[in-house]
Amino acid sequence: MKQSKFSYKLGQFLMFAGPAGILFCAVVVLPFIYGIYLTFTSWDGVANTKPFVGLSNYQQAFTDAAYWAALGRTVVYSVISVILVNIVAFLLAYAVTSGIKGQNFFRAGFFIPNLIGGIVLGYVWKFVFNRAFVAIGDAITGSKPDSLLGSPSGAMFALILVSVWQYAGYMMLIYVAGFMSVDQSLKEAAMIDGCNSSQAMWHVIVPLMRSSFVQCIFLSTTRCFMVYDLNLSLTKGEPFNQSVLAAMHVYNQAFVYKNYGTGQAEALILFIICAVIGVLQVYVGKKGEVAA
Amino acid sequence: MAHSWMKLGAAATAAVLSLGMLGACGSSTNSNATTITLFNSKVEIEDQMEDMAKQYSKEKGVTVKVYYSNDTVAAHLATKYASKQPYTISMVDDKDIYSLAKEHAVDLSDEDWVKDTDYALSVDGKVYGFPTTVEARGLIYNADAIKKYTGKDFDPSTIKTTDDLKSIIKELKAGGMKSPVGVLKEDWSLAGHYLPQVYEEQSDVDAFVDTLLKGTADLQNNEKWNSLMDTFDVLKDNNYAKSSAVSAEREVTEQKLAEGEIAFMFGGNWDWSVLNQYDVSENMGMMPVPQNMDDGANEKLVGGGSKFMFIDSSDQTTDAQRQAAKDFLNWLANDKEGQKFIVEDCSLVSPFKTNTLEVQDPLSKSVKKYADEGKLIPNYSHLPDDHYSVLGAEMQKYLADQEDRDALATNIQTYWKTAKLSGATA
Repeated sequence: MKQSKFSYKLGQFLMFAGPAGILFCAVVVLPFIYGIYLTFTSWDGVANTKPFVGLSNYQQAFTDAAYWAALGRTVVYSVISVILVNIVAFLLAYAVTSGIKGQNFFRAGFFIPNLIGGIVLGYVWKFVFNRAFVAIGDAITGSKPDSLLGSPSGAMFALILVSVWQYAGYMMLIYVAGFMSVDQSLKEAAMIDGCNSSQAMWHVIVPLMRSSFVQCIFLSTTRCFMVYDLNLSLTKGEPFNQSVLAAMHVYNQAFVYKNYGTGQAEALILFIICAVIGVLQVYVGKKGEVAA
Repeated sequence: MAHSWMKLGAAATAAVLSLGMLGACGSSTNSNATTITLFNSKVEIEDQMEDMAKQYSKEKGVTVKVYYSNDTVAAHLATKYASKQPYTISMVDDKDIYSLAKEHAVDLSDEDWVKDTDYALSVDGKVYGFPTTVEARGLIYNADAIKKYTGKDFDPSTIKTTDDLKSIIKELKAGGMKSPVGVLKEDWSLAGHYLPQVYEEQSDVDAFVDTLLKGTADLQNNEKWNSLMDTFDVLKDNNYAKSSAVSAEREVTEQKLAEGEIAFMFGGNWDWSVLNQYDVSENMGMMPVPQNMDDGANEKLVGGGSKFMFIDSSDQTTDAQRQAAKDFLNWLANDKEGQKFIVEDCSLVSPFKTNTLEVQDPLSKSVKKYADEGKLIPNYSHLPDDHYSVLGAEMQKYLADQEDRDALATNIQTYWKTAKLSGATA
């Protein structure tokens, strides 16, 4: 049999990519299409009938003030978290590659928060905010301070703090890999040419690590936009529903308020926003990438 | 990099999917006529349920399998119906019966137990929901703590009005109890349990809800609203966590009540399962929410049947399974063993008159007493699905003194104008 024949190529392709392709279709593509179909119905999640209602779910999604408020909070939360996560992760990575004593221990230590699931993490930190911090404040000042989780801005701050704590270790690993991939000789060459070490860092090492930045920012952005577990266990949207982020609002809309179609439409809008931001950011990031 | 991740992801999905398929194979044998499945949505009694199922299976020759889910009832049943694997019997909340019964439930009007209870749930004149228990809301008190601080035996029937409540709180404070009240900040407690009393205690509930929907209701000048909110103010002002009311944790509040650090908390007999975990005082109970309004509501608890079971009517359930399920419900209601299971093993108040066993936990004892005397104001079961969440946030603002009563009333009225009653559209 000729190896250049189309049927042979197709057969080869299906043999290797087929199983994964079929599974991908079955668990991602088909549900996604079905999900889009559901946004055109007023299904409540349980009924046998799925009445077709055209675009009214989208209309409701666009007029749902609580949804846009949640989305606004998500943007604020994500922007601050992404910036902080990456700064902290980069500094940690720098610290644990600079040859300090016990750096492997520190690498493991900083990574561990990422191994704890978001739900557990939320409950642990809830205890810290509500009890531990209050008790410490009590011991120092003599009067019990209010828990951070009791005010809307405090709750948002708590969410950001815990996210940074959780993700920084993970992003640190990617930055560590980035640091390791930059050949030491390049830095030495720059130093010989008269750079001081911060100039070498800024003008030689950081540009060469660009792909690490692109990856880290992409990962942290999408994770922050879709965050649900931490939101649920740490604040549950409280106080006053002022810490409900987009994913939580979508879940409530679909399953608690039983507007499945509207919830699905809102989820789709969230997906599109995420996809656009993600693609744009990777495109811009990749464009200026340099190879050593 | 990205490619190897995708491969890893694909491998993982493949693994998960094949596991799922194996699981599906394993469970496809349960179309057997003598096996029925039961969805339990009351987490407190899950262990008892499983033990009972084992025992029942052994004695009756009908295998009962009990399931529980952490998901909300509606979301969980939605997946079961979507995958065409409904439970033979599902235990759900009243509003789920309204939304599910017509399509998915069997008519139980001819069953023996229907005449023995006031709490069976009907839609359009047909009985669909078997009441598992009776639950009611009111003010929980710790009589031991009150006696300790006032030196007198506590008689709940002496606290009828808001003024009575104020005076006993004053006495407690004089005796050394710093702040005698706990207020749960959970949205389901504030707007799922306390606020609805404003609707439930109106002389004509449906007519009042109608005015809310039409936007013609005038809460600010409504006597019941003001009467209940006056009492709420007393509770709020004497809250042990007054300055941090919206971050107070339920477990802490219940512990303080159980151990007598505070004396009153608005709640229901379901709170016993939490109180019970601490060093609980012996003499506790439930009393009506005191009110100055003189319409008799301050002599009644608010509540009724709770956690309703319905039997699946779809083709996935065989007639033999349906019969077995009906037998099971009859057993729960009328058989000595079934009655014992509800009252003694699960500590629930039985909704059936034929069940005369004495319930052990003190809160349920109070509920049983009020229920037997006919002093229960019925729940309003068509509250919109987002009511507790949206208005819970408003009530929290009021609790935290970020909103005054008029603003709260206005916001409640604004919410209702666009609200959609649950289960009423069908």
